[in-house]
Amino acid sequence: MASEERTKEIINEIRQALINYDEDGVGEWAKKALDEGVDPFIATMEGLADGMIEVGELYNKKEYFVPELLLCSDALYAGLDILRPAIKASGRQSEAKGSIVLGVVEGDVHDIGKNLIKMMFDVSGWTVYDLGKDVPLDKFVEEQLRTDSEIVGLSALMTTSMVAMQDIVKKLKEKNPNVRIMLGGAPITSEIADMYGADGYAESAGTAVDEAIRMIKMLKEEEMERK
Amino acid sequence: MNTELSSRERVLKCFRGEKIDRLPVFSGYGNVTVHGLEKYGWRFAEIHVDAKKMANMAASTHQLFGFECAVVPFDMGVEAEALGAGVNFYAHHTDVVYPTIASKVAEKVMDLDLKIPSDLAKAGRIPLVVEAIRLLKEEIGDRVAIGSWTLGPYTLAGQLVDIGDLAKMTFKKKDMVDKVLDALGEVIVEISRIYREAGADYMTIREMGAGPDILSPRIFKTLIRPHLEKVFAAIESPKILHICGDTNTIVEEMALCGADAISVDQKNDVAESRNKLGPDAFILGNIDPYMVIVKGKPDDVDNAVKEAVANGVNAIWPGCDIFPTAPKENMKALMAAAQKYGKLS
Repeated sequence: MASEERTKEIINEIRQALINYDEDGVGEWAKKALDEGVDPFIATMEGLADGMIEVGELYNKKEYFVPELLLCSDALYAGLDILRPAIKASGRQSEAKGSIVLGVVEGDVHDIGKNLIKMMFDVSGWTVYDLGKDVPLDKFVEEQLRTDSEIVGLSALMTTSMVAMQDIVKKLKEKNPNVRIMLGGAPITSEIADMYGADGYAESAGTAVDEAIRMIKMLKEEEMERK
Repeated sequence: MNTELSSRERVLKCFRGEKIDRLPVFSGYGNVTVHGLEKYGWRFAEIHVDAKKMANMAASTHQLFGFECAVVPFDMGVEAEALGAGVNFYAHHTDVVYPTIASKVAEKVMDLDLKIPSDLAKAGRIPLVVEAIRLLKEEIGDRVAIGSWTLGPYTLAGQLVDIGDLAKMTFKKKDMVDKVLDALGEVIVEISRIYREAGADYMTIREMGAGPDILSPRIFKTLIRPHLEKVFAAIESPKILHICGDTNTIVEEMALCGADAISVDQKNDVAESRNKLGPDAFILGNIDPYMVIVKGKPDDVDNAVKEAVANGVNAIWPGCDIFPTAPKENMKALMAAAQKYGKLS
């Protein structure tokens, strides 16, 4: 077992390597974490997830842009690939939070934002049902019913494809009033999210990270209250 | 002014900085409405693959509402298709779904082996767009300005390869991306020349994939701008550079690309841009095409035009394609607002 100090150091190294989009560095430190007996769940949450939150902040401050976000995302998955099997083996996956259906709406093939949202739910231990891109309206409704997911995330980069979201939100809420719907993409504003009846929105790749975290926290708190 | 200008004269004089009666209402990209589609009984999916339908639909917003231009094409796949990408037209769809790229030329920039047809005028749907421009020129070209557009080099590259990989490579392998943009710049210059020769009065280059929503202003300056400069140096005036999203941090860079005008969307603070660029800069855009023109009330349209004019735009120009479901009364309000707030003498 690593000492408390060493654990902190390892987690910090993972986080820093992630922020510096150092894919190899994240991989090396994730391996060290396992070798030295650091709890892989803690390494994931405090190293990878917290690191990505800082990356999101750098994006919001306009220090990082989409290329940096994507490189950090690659680094995050390099770490997750190593840590996730160990979390499973430790039995911690019983803490799995829930599930989300994600997809880019029909008429749009841009999936950067969707993939970043997916990453935040992945790293937080959620099950992600990824429908991919150019997804017909009904597919979202079917998949939500099939998986009974708590959240459906719809993404569109272009105004021309965003307009289909209004119908999808309506259909989803009709079938299941409790489902949370989050919209993402450059043309989305709070006004549009409200008008469409969504529960959350993100207008950029960076705020997608924030919004995913906000949703995850909100649902966690609600679950605690129910308990 | 005593004599009423035709729309074409108003638009062209506006670009030349000559005296006109009022600001023209036009744009550099698609402005088809469902009202035009209804008039002809066509579906949106049909109008991208038939020159006659494309031309008729491009003219329909002028005919129905007096919008002062006719612009083709309507989808962002023409150039990529000519270079070998596959386009999905959603042929069986009855709703308005814009065509998308169904198959990329390569997934990674590294694997992109660009094969540029020796005669671009014969590649993909370029002949179809050319035919549509010719028809428009013949039918309404004496009184209505005919516009056309292409994507900018970086945005076009994003149609040919995965945009995620492209974005990462701007960072990791800048030289490699630079070479691709150089080749695509030449393609854009040639397509622009072909469209102008067919009768287009002005060209818009849409580089929306390279704005600050995606790339840093630093990369815009060092990697994107040099290619736009080359493109604009080689194409004929009038020529417009359009970038949507939060362009406030790059308007000065945009102005240095060599276009006659820059076009921005609703996220740009036009008053601030005017302030930065000075009284002589030609700034277009910023009327919100969706929240105002589609979802707003006629009063909202009126207000948006009033505000855009007060902030210093040089024409009444939507920030993106007019989305086809724009209500008739909003289109009418758009035209009426131009009369109300756009008077110049």
